[in-house]
Amino acid sequence: MTKKKKDAEETVAEPMALEEAAIPSAPTTTDKLKASLEELKGYEGVIGYILRNSTSAAIDLKDPSKLIEYAILSSSALEAGEELSETFNLGLVKSILVEGKEVKVLSFTVGENKVSIFMEKNTDPEKVLKKLGQF
Amino acid sequence: MDSNEIYTTALNNALDEMRKVCPDIQHAFIYNENGELIAGDAETPQKVTTRIIDVFDDILERAEAIGGVEAITINGDMGTVKLYHFNEHYLVAVYSAKAEVGYVDTIVRVLVPTVLKVLEKLSPTPLKNVAEPKPEPLGLEKPQEGELTEKPVEKLPAESKPEAEPFLASEKLQEPPSPLEVPAVQLIVENIGGLLVPSDTVRVDSETLSSWENAFEGKKIEYVEIETFNGKTARYKVKPIKDSKYTGKGVVQIPEKVQLALEIKKGELVKVKPVIE
Repeated sequence: MTKKKKDAEETVAEPMALEEAAIPSAPTTTDKLKASLEELKGYEGVIGYILRNSTSAAIDLKDPSKLIEYAILSSSALEAGEELSETFNLGLVKSILVEGKEVKVLSFTVGENKVSIFMEKNTDPEKVLKKLGQF
Repeated sequence: MDSNEIYTTALNNALDEMRKVCPDIQHAFIYNENGELIAGDAETPQKVTTRIIDVFDDILERAEAIGGVEAITINGDMGTVKLYHFNEHYLVAVYSAKAEVGYVDTIVRVLVPTVLKVLEKLSPTPLKNVAEPKPEPLGLEKPQEGELTEKPVEKLPAESKPEAEPFLASEKLQEPPSPLEVPAVQLIVENIGGLLVPSDTVRVDSETLSSWENAFEGKKIEYVEIETFNGKTARYKVKPIKDSKYTGKGVVQIPEKVQLALEIKKGELVKVKPVIE
């Protein structure tokens, strides 16, 4: 009887101890963004994303052979957005959409995070933006 | 007027008319694949257009991975810059945040390719070499400062006021009209409001009707032929537009039943020409 009680105490105590050890600090915007992008990747037509900031980068593309080209294009689009916004006084750039004959690229900035989402030509970028509207 | 001037004038006219129909377009210019400016508004300095072309060029060069660029939209909270790709030409339009994006898109995507197609049919070479005689890559910019405000209106062989016929200029370039042949005008479809709208009558700007009547030596225009870009054609009675807000806007008011029959809708372009029996 005594032994049984002891066993029960042990099984309860163990997971608690594990949880305490696993609790990380509160998720940052980058973490939340990454989670949303991961979810978006499952959407029909979305073929991948690039998320980068000054310290890290996360890239997930269905066709990794185009990774470098997509990364350069994404970077050019974001730079162009900044420059043209300054030239024409467009204010804060909300998004940059590059519509290709095969693929669309939707790029935007959230804080220090630069995001590009790659999607098939017929995908509605508005839906993607809505999904990320919380940012 | 040599062929280069015709090209520049026609495209400048198209841009001018586009801006009249969509006043929220603040800047617009067209350049070709060599980065040569072909037409544009006088308010955008050459330095600025050159820089913008360079900026877009950076993206265009890297866009092979996505099959080449069809359009680029930079959406800011105070306005939008959009680049459209039409075969060998690029149009850059800057419009304010309050602009109706869908409307601007329709106008640009219908008007500019039509004008370019007409010009290409007239003579395929001058458009490509438009800046050739000039020493600078953007050599057309300087003469444009003088030409942009005057030439498009003065030099086109328009019998009627261009304000009333926004898209007439490009059409006239296609076929020089004989004295009794009035070419079709391109007008934007608009709904007709009201309860008792006759389904066999469309409404056209009274100035357009007058200019047709003048061209036909005072004969009253009672019918027009409407041709859609899908090739559907039908004849309807015509009356002047009553609502003053549509005067001089280059619109044709068409009852909804007719729109359904012709498979068109508000905001689209149709060709309208008078019918004399």
